[in-house]
Amino acid sequence: MNIIETHDLCKQYGNALRVAHLDLDVPEGSVYGFLGPNGAGKSTTLKMILGLVRPSAGSIRVLGKKMDGGNRLSVLQQVGSLIESPSYYGHLTGEENLRIVQTLRGVSERNIREVLQIVRLDGQRGKRVACYSLGMKQRLGLAAALLGYPKLLILDEPTNGLDPAGIQEMRELICSLPERFGMTVVVSSHLLSEIDQMANHVAIIREGELVFQDTLEALHGRSRHHLALRTTNNAMAGAILHENSLPCQEEDGYLILPILSDELAAQFTRLLAERRLGVIRLEERQKSLESIFLELTGKAASL
Amino acid sequence: MKLLKLEFYKCRRRKIVLVCAAVLAVELIWMEAFFTRQDTEDLKWGWMLLLYNLAMVDAIVLPISVAALASRNCELEHKGNTWKLLETMARPRQLYVAKLAWGTLVLAALLIIRSGIFLAVGIMQGFQGGIPWGRFGLFTLISWAVSMMVYTLQQGLSLRFSNQAAALVCGIAGSFLGVLSMLFPPALTRCVPWGYYGLLALVGMDWDAATRVTAFHWQWPEPADLILLLLWAAGFLIVGRTLFVRKEV
Repeated sequence: MNIIETHDLCKQYGNALRVAHLDLDVPEGSVYGFLGPNGAGKSTTLKMILGLVRPSAGSIRVLGKKMDGGNRLSVLQQVGSLIESPSYYGHLTGEENLRIVQTLRGVSERNIREVLQIVRLDGQRGKRVACYSLGMKQRLGLAAALLGYPKLLILDEPTNGLDPAGIQEMRELICSLPERFGMTVVVSSHLLSEIDQMANHVAIIREGELVFQDTLEALHGRSRHHLALRTTNNAMAGAILHENSLPCQEEDGYLILPILSDELAAQFTRLLAERRLGVIRLEERQKSLESIFLELTGKAASL
Repeated sequence: MKLLKLEFYKCRRRKIVLVCAAVLAVELIWMEAFFTRQDTEDLKWGWMLLLYNLAMVDAIVLPISVAALASRNCELEHKGNTWKLLETMARPRQLYVAKLAWGTLVLAALLIIRSGIFLAVGIMQGFQGGIPWGRFGLFTLISWAVSMMVYTLQQGLSLRFSNQAAALVCGIAGSFLGVLSMLFPPALTRCVPWGYYGLLALVGMDWDAATRVTAFHWQWPEPADLILLLLWAAGFLIVGRTLFVRKEV
């Protein structure tokens, strides 16, 4: 079952279509990485899912229910969120901040202590949030999102502003949530490496358009090994490959073909030599995730 | 009710009591300074003199005070980027109403205490005649009603603009226009929201240029002015609430 489904979701600001015909399917129990360069429309999409921004077109279903003005808040009772920077009252303590969320969500007071322990802020609960570091504020934001133990957690760039240790800690925490609490986590990032370490499902968005959506394994599948061959006559070599039912395509002066067994590769090079074709290069290559991301988004891997 | 309680909870350590105490202190000092300069002849007007001047002091002090209170209450949401959290748990119009209800109660408490203090001042000064309980009550109600109209305007501005300078400048301008409008003809005063402190005053003044004698008299607010006050408040409420509810976070 999909916990979030969007169909033909669009958001237009003036003449610019910031989110274009997005069809997202977030499977229940997954850590769903929502990846895209800055300004791709990730935050706008997540805000539309939460009903904070009105879609220009399209529909959204969350937890099997269509999101509209009437049932938005009842659906969101089971959704925790941390959008962009954390929300907090600087003049109140961490515990007082959570008490506000606890009152609004109508959950048990006991949850406050528990979530503070989960995000490891229990030692700082009596301190004013204005005196917290950015990492602590981010963890407080996560605590507020976790407070009602929601079925769905939406985190927009949760590691922003964290130091490497904080990023590692946040990542481990996010990864543990589906197993510990049965939550589905949607986490957005502009960093491929981050999503690669957290998510098991991935969507990639570019200029508001969905360019990839599948499991992380499927994305890795695109980075499979292949052979790159350069000969004295690539056209003839290509014809020989086809004669032997070996698929290939020419790319930047190389013939790209699938990985061959050692025996088959030796047999093939012998065949080329018999036809008086010289082998200049025969390389084993692997497409990195970064280059796949680059291909999909048309931008650098970490933007 | 839950949201209203939370408004008070959120305003912990926001020095709201200090702001209210400062308002009372300024009004008290102003009035004390005024009464110490009056001779026995003037003081015989007693309660009328007090309520006439209190309406004038309100016109100067309350617009900026109301702006400060609305700003203190709304700024904390902008500062902490809390709209996107709150609006996943409550409807924007509920948040708007809770903030307005907070202002209603704070202003009611402030103005009741203010009236209590000045009643005590009047009694201590030994003003002639009986204590005008009814008129004092009505004066408090009018001060609160006008302040609520101004608060509705200020809340709209404070919610709309994250930079509170716009709202506070409006409050300062209101203080200036409030007192200045007392010199305007009534038709023009009706066009100035802050002018209603003077327009709805319960005491009128007649100054005889020939004898240079000032006389005071009780008066009742014009029903048309009360209706206009309601219209102003309704206008600010509808515009402020619509802008807030429509704003995407």
